[in-house]
Amino acid sequence: MKLLRLALRTLRREWHLPELRTLAASLLLAVVALGVVATLASRVEGGLVASAAELIGGDAGVSAPQALPQPYLDEARQRDLTVTRSAGFPSVAFAGERGQLLDVDATDAAWPLRGALELAAHGVTSAGHGPAPGTMYLDHRAMVALGLAVGDHVQLGGLDLAVAAELVSQPDGGQLVAMAPRALMNLADAQRAGLLGVGSRARHRLLVAGAPAAVRDWLAWAKAQALPQGAELITPAKTQQRMRNAFDRAGSFLRLTALLSALLAGVAIALAAQRYARRKTPEIALLRALGTARTRVFGLLLATLGALALPTLLLGVLVAWGLAEGAWQLAGAAFVHVPTALPLLPALGAAAMGLAVLAGFALPPLARLAEVPPVAVFRASMARRVRRVDVLYLVPALVAVALLWNQSGSAKLAIILAVSLSVVAVLAALLALLLLWFARRIAPGAHPALRLGLAALARRRTLSTVQATALSLGLVALLLLAVVAPALLEGWRRELPPDTPNWFVLNLQDDQRTDFTDRLEKLGAQQLNMLPLAVGKLTAINGTPVDQLHFADPGAARWADRQLRLSWTGTLPPSNKVVAGHWAGATPARAEVSVDTSWRDMFGLKIGDRMRFDVGEGSLEATVASVREVDWSSFRVNFFLLLDPAHAGSLPHTWLASFYLPHGHAQALAEVSRDYGNLSLVDVDALLDRVREIVDQVGGAVRWVLGFSLLAGALVLAAALATSAAERRHEAALLRTLGARRGQLRLAAACEFALLGLIAGLTAALGAFGAGWWLARGVFRLDDFVPPLGPLLGGALLAAVVIMLLGLAGTRKVTRTSPMRLLREG
Amino acid sequence: MSESSLPLLEARDVSKTVRGPEGTLDILADVTLAVHAGESFAIVGASGSGKTTLLGLLAGLDTPTTGSVRLDGHALEAIDEEARADLRRQLVGFVFQSFHLLPALTAEENVMLPLELEGRDDARARAREALTAVGLDTRRRHYPAQLSGGEQQRVAIARAFVHGPRVLFADEPTGNLDQRTGRHVADLLFALNRDHRTTLVLVTHDATLAARCARGVELMEGRIAAPAAIT
Ligand SMILES: Nc1ncnc2c1ncn2[C@@H]1O[C@H](COP(=O)(O)OP(=O)(O)OP(=O)(O)O)[C@@H](O)[C@H]1O
Ligand SMILES: [Mg+2]
Repeated sequence: MKLLRLALRTLRREWHLPELRTLAASLLLAVVALGVVATLASRVEGGLVASAAELIGGDAGVSAPQALPQPYLDEARQRDLTVTRSAGFPSVAFAGERGQLLDVDATDAAWPLRGALELAAHGVTSAGHGPAPGTMYLDHRAMVALGLAVGDHVQLGGLDLAVAAELVSQPDGGQLVAMAPRALMNLADAQRAGLLGVGSRARHRLLVAGAPAAVRDWLAWAKAQALPQGAELITPAKTQQRMRNAFDRAGSFLRLTALLSALLAGVAIALAAQRYARRKTPEIALLRALGTARTRVFGLLLATLGALALPTLLLGVLVAWGLAEGAWQLAGAAFVHVPTALPLLPALGAAAMGLAVLAGFALPPLARLAEVPPVAVFRASMARRVRRVDVLYLVPALVAVALLWNQSGSAKLAIILAVSLSVVAVLAALLALLLLWFARRIAPGAHPALRLGLAALARRRTLSTVQATALSLGLVALLLLAVVAPALLEGWRRELPPDTPNWFVLNLQDDQRTDFTDRLEKLGAQQLNMLPLAVGKLTAINGTPVDQLHFADPGAARWADRQLRLSWTGTLPPSNKVVAGHWAGATPARAEVSVDTSWRDMFGLKIGDRMRFDVGEGSLEATVASVREVDWSSFRVNFFLLLDPAHAGSLPHTWLASFYLPHGHAQALAEVSRDYGNLSLVDVDALLDRVREIVDQVGGAVRWVLGFSLLAGALVLAAALATSAAERRHEAALLRTLGARRGQLRLAAACEFALLGLIAGLTAALGAFGAGWWLARGVFRLDDFVPPLGPLLGGALLAAVVIMLLGLAGTRKVTRTSPMRLLREG
Repeated sequence: MSESSLPLLEARDVSKTVRGPEGTLDILADVTLAVHAGESFAIVGASGSGKTTLLGLLAGLDTPTTGSVRLDGHALEAIDEEARADLRRQLVGFVFQSFHLLPALTAEENVMLPLELEGRDDARARAREALTAVGLDTRRRHYPAQLSGGEQQRVAIARAFVHGPRVLFADEPTGNLDQRTGRHVADLLFALNRDHRTTLVLVTHDATLAARCARGVELMEGRIAAPAAIT
């Protein structure tokens, strides 16, 4: 208690010291930056879960080849969750003499629990639920294919059903393009017609929705069960690959920026603490000489630090909450279903991390301070005779790495940053030492101002090295934030250029291609691309029929039973990468197939395996020639299986066209498609806009964080320059006494700071370039990203100039100190 | 020696008033004195009597509130700080009670400083000579922390005269040293005064040291109490 009171008194007495203020300000910045970003990220995560739920049609669920056992339902009801059952299966519907294979979903009246089922009837669109018994909803393609209108009747599984509405959109798990026409029918009808019985290819689903905690609880219970054969959990995390990828990248970005500002703050804290320790040395020596135990000294220092940290942390948390809420109010319109309550925990976590930064970066100098021997009262130099290499100085490094690890959520991001920053630190220190060594050699012959500047740097060798290192670390972080992050964002944005195909057309026939292309071009469509599309089945692998093969992976069994989409092309599509074998090209000698990595893994395929596909009347045996890694998050239609055009071209197929059509031409496009009747159009603008919006929001958030980091950077700069201010003042007073002109001092200082700035700036530019290069490839999957070297070097030079000007501004005070000071000092 | 020529250093009715936390404070009042070229001059007095303040005014480190100080014919209060710095560089050397060597420079580099400020090329050679003159030629490459107090003060003296100043100001140069070392340092100062006719202005409370000076004044509460004994 007494110690605490003493600590508070010390704090009050010393609050005017710039070191303590820098310490508090840096801690505040670290907590605010981390807190705001963590809070925003947690909310965005909430929004992601919510919007995934919209695509699932519920908060979570299970799917299985058979109807799900009763306990799944009971357990959900016990937790006050709403429940819906549905089943999906392919089936052929008939109207008159026309028949069409449809993707049918049979649902109860509760479906969907989340998201919207959009229906159109008689020109009016409305939101609805699963169809009533005896009715059915068909999408536009199905209507066209069957030649039906709302109110007509359709035969399916022996039932006669009325088409009650046109199906406009439904929660569909976030598929980019549904390949078959779709239909919705009543679940009881489907059961009655025997469409779901044993041997049917139906996939049964049970979805739940309700309070997040109850949903989590139910999921945990379901995970603990031995799931029925072939069953799978449906969770938000598994759905929505494209959004998920965008959000993951967004999260990495935000965490990266927050981390960098926290580390910047850490550097400032370390510098301030060191300076504080230097200033306190005589006082501590006196205390020790007067008989204060070392532990008590350390206790007092700790208590003082704690008394400073606690209110600062509290303030930081409050500011972070306020800013996060403010930012949300400004940007919140984007996520309709996001929880409205401000998540409180992330900012508290940030406070804990701030405390770790403070402890990690400030404790080592203070712990060393407690070691000051009592004899230092007699000889100040004694205080400095402490071991040079001190294990304590590993603490900040470890804290930094731990922070990176914990915050980045990605070991890769953490490692890249940790390695880059250490390389920069070592490089800057080495360069500084080299320059100082060099300075000693060339100083005698140099211009007097340069000589004095070099001599001044050399005179404070340790300090200069610390300064150069701290400045370059600070600058790397700043350059990464100010130059590399926006460039990365731009690179990400370029992946979705404005003319990214936003329409897909399915079911185009061979003889319609040229005509349709002409019509589209007249409308102003761009980026038109056509892919052949065949629907078939996998019938044999290496000559063995698939029904005689046993697959360990339930996914493989399911695919083997399903209609597959096959396509062929002579050139490797973008967003595909060959990882094994080689790309066949347009005219290989024998039929070849390229499989995606997930297929290789599911079926255990090797290069050279033979796969037989039946398509309509035709059949083709192809050899696996390559394995592709496919970026499924790209907004292109991709295929698990790609054949070569020379051998597959004769299989029965239609065409899938994708193109970009500027907004506002949808009506004209609808007219074109009406002329063709059989075509169906898919508009993915909404999805594209959503991702672009995420990029923009991340850009906005990064700018926010950049603001904090600039502040933190300024603190680092101030703290670094302040480390040598006392020495500088004494030196300047002495030189003034010896008759140095103000201009001489200023020129010397300019040389000195310009050199310091150049060392820091150049290492930082190099470091930011390397880190940016590596981050782009390792974390953000931008393989052709090159950090902008020009702006980086420009930034580095600018930083050097700013450092020089700030240094000069700092010396204005120094050159004005009266030379009398020296006489007064004894 | 003939003292009819103009004094090298002259203070006329010098007063210094500072604003302190408890109102204004007259530190010096109506000090008038003259020091001729080649003289040795002592300023003595009790602690707090204003000796250091006076020395600072005489050396042009500070300006008087009223009155005038002339160094080599220049009225110090009439010129700006830059011009005073030029005068200091050309005419003045300093020795302080607590040495004030730069800890990161070797003895030789410390001594080179005043020459470097003048931009001279022979700085190193002359610094070496000066260090030899104070008997420290073997310690040239040592840093201040590696030297004893007396040795540090000798380095400081070498720095003070290396550029051949006309006046050497010393504020309690022996205050931090034991008697014998102090005497050795004082010997050095007086030898400079004798051999190079460097004018010496010395602040001290040490009566024996003051007695070695040709002339002097005693300050008492900021005023000249009595001309010190001239031996
Ligand atoms: N800037 C200042 N503000 C207020 N008071 C000052 C200032 N400078 C000097 N003094 C006061 O003026 C008086 C004379 O100071 P000075 O340092 O000249 O004394 P001194 O004779 O050199 O003493 P000592 O022998 O102890 O060194 C002292 O009382 C001192 O407190
Ligand atoms: Mg004094």
